[in-house]
Amino acid sequence: MMDLTQPQWVKHVVFHPFEGFEDLRWKKGGTLKYTAVIIVALFFALIAFDRWCGFQFRPLPDAMFSVVPYIMKSVVYFFAWVLGNWAICTLLDGEGTMKNIAIYSSYALIPYIVEVYIQVFLSHILVRAEGVFFSTVYYVGIIWTVLLLFNAIKAVHQYSFTKTVVAIILTIAAMLVILFLAVLFLSLFQKVYVFFYSLYTEILYRLRV
Amino acid sequence: MKNKSRRLLKQCAAAGLVCLLSFSAVSLPVSADEPYDVYNYNYLGEAVPSQAGYLAERSVSGLDLGTTALNAPSDLFKDKDDFFYLVDSGNNRILKIDSDFTQIVQEYKSFKMEDGSETTLKNPKGVFVSPDTGLMYIADNENARALIVNPDGTVFREITKPASTVYDQQLTFLPQKILCDNAGNVYIVLNNTTKGSAMFNADGEFIGYYGANSVAPTAEVIANHFWNAIASEDEKKYRSRSTPTAFDNFDIDTVKGFIYTSTSSGSTDTDIIKKVNPEGYNLFDYMSGYTWGDLFSTWYSGTSYKTKIVDVDIGDDGSINCLDSTTGRVFQYDKEADLLFIMGATGDQVGAFSQGNVTALETKGENCENIYVLDAGKGTVTVFGQTVFGEIVHEATALYNGGYYEEALGPWLEVLKRDGNYRRAYLGISSAYYNMGRYKESMEYAKKADASARYNRAFERYRSQWLREHLTQLLIGIVLIVIGIRLLKYVIRKQKNKKKHSEPAASGSGT
Repeated sequence: MMDLTQPQWVKHVVFHPFEGFEDLRWKKGGTLKYTAVIIVALFFALIAFDRWCGFQFRPLPDAMFSVVPYIMKSVVYFFAWVLGNWAICTLLDGEGTMKNIAIYSSYALIPYIVEVYIQVFLSHILVRAEGVFFSTVYYVGIIWTVLLLFNAIKAVHQYSFTKTVVAIILTIAAMLVILFLAVLFLSLFQKVYVFFYSLYTEILYRLRV
Repeated sequence: MKNKSRRLLKQCAAAGLVCLLSFSAVSLPVSADEPYDVYNYNYLGEAVPSQAGYLAERSVSGLDLGTTALNAPSDLFKDKDDFFYLVDSGNNRILKIDSDFTQIVQEYKSFKMEDGSETTLKNPKGVFVSPDTGLMYIADNENARALIVNPDGTVFREITKPASTVYDQQLTFLPQKILCDNAGNVYIVLNNTTKGSAMFNADGEFIGYYGANSVAPTAEVIANHFWNAIASEDEKKYRSRSTPTAFDNFDIDTVKGFIYTSTSSGSTDTDIIKKVNPEGYNLFDYMSGYTWGDLFSTWYSGTSYKTKIVDVDIGDDGSINCLDSTTGRVFQYDKEADLLFIMGATGDQVGAFSQGNVTALETKGENCENIYVLDAGKGTVTVFGQTVFGEIVHEATALYNGGYYEEALGPWLEVLKRDGNYRRAYLGISSAYYNMGRYKESMEYAKKADASARYNRAFERYRSQWLREHLTQLLIGIVLIVIGIRLLKYVIRKQKNKKKHSEPAASGSGT
């Protein structure tokens, strides 16, 4: 029973939103390699959506391109989610390890990523009057991913429905705290860097004169 | 050896960069002829360098016209035969000037009343000449009257403060500007009411007010309205009420009959220019995305310099010309309120004006070949002439607004050659290619103009064109792909079966 290869696990989980993750947990399926691939795919999906969509659906991209916001929206948010969820659910008697949280959450993102690529493709062959297809794809993808993500968290920690809801709300709060601290640290380090740099220039100046 | 060649390369690159920088620094001023930098706004609302559509040709003083110096002139008007009427307020006279603006044809100082007595003007502020009847309408400010004068200099009618109860009798009657419409109704701008211009019928009877500005619904105004609604009668006496700003100048589009008003008050951003229909509604309210004057006010040592439109003039081609007294700039818009050109500045050179003292502008020619700006501070009229670039833009605009998109293609391409920042050229070219069925190019130019609705329209046609041309290939392709997938699946299944049969032991160890 359920002797699936890794690609088969992906398919099973995505197309069985309610028991897929339970099966995955039971059989200890899933691998971090796929998580990495999925996050990279998410990163490119976000870029594609902003820059390669048809002009009739999306505004022209800025002439300046910065990769940082896209790293932020894919990698950083994902890690903040995993970290926040792990921190919260460890306190709330969750059974998931950090590795499993990362794997399950990333598998849950697949419908959204696929949806974005489909949107990018559709934006080149649809006109505005047919925009309902464009938005339908979007809503289907989003709802599917939310459903998967919810069940992923529920399965990985073996929670009840209400506890999962509470855990997810707390996770989002934890993410905000993490990101806030990250920004704080960044600005702090920048100040420290500037301090040492000015020290360095000062010393150089003294040495020369 | 390698090091040396690399250093050489570096030096070359540096030299090239320096060359490039100095070249761009040298070529930055767009034109050296104006005493100001010519600019226009791009689709992002940024001021970008542009080509000049008009150049200041000369400045004409009273002495140049063969009379004494002008003293605080306040209005300039051009009749249908291209004669100019200049209101020389300080000298209490009106000058009729020939169409080349070189000499005076007639000087009006006094007029004969019906009873034979002479009457003189006192600080007149506005003049208008009816294209139908040839009557001259004068806003005789300090005499508190408006005069309607026959071409021979006899007074046809005198309009004084109306006795009607609609007119608040506590108010004075000091006409600032005057005009008459095609039906003979007379409109007078007064400086003491926000209800609009006083309107008199063809018989000189007061019939009400026309074209008042509206109050912009800001949060403060709405809150004020709410508190006023619940305040008691006693409290209401001490509460402020929201009143609209008053417009202080207007012009009539003699062809279409619409009256355009301009408001110079700095406390409002709405109703700066209005196109008023006979019912008193502002037709620009039904449009979106238009602006008047500069998009940003400048801050300089504690003072904000905000656009202050003091006069509006409708050209013979329907263009809307606005005069900004703060910056001394003339903003020319086409009849769809799209910005064409900006000219003028404050300063002492020809083409620049004394700050806050420009009072009137007038245009001449079928395509607005000339623009005349009256500077009360200097007592001169500056004549702007159209450049070659301006001529092409006007030609293209006229064709484009008339719906001759394909005919406008040539002029628009020429405009782009001279000024790649000129956004309306991209729109025009996009429309032209669309009408010619060249949808791919239409899409390209719509994209450059950042006009996504236009792009969408062109894309729709491009798609159906493409489908019509490639339908057979598309269908064959789809059929081939389906067959290919089927075939591939079949082959894979067969190979798997073969494997299973040949090595049945291997299948058990799969995880």
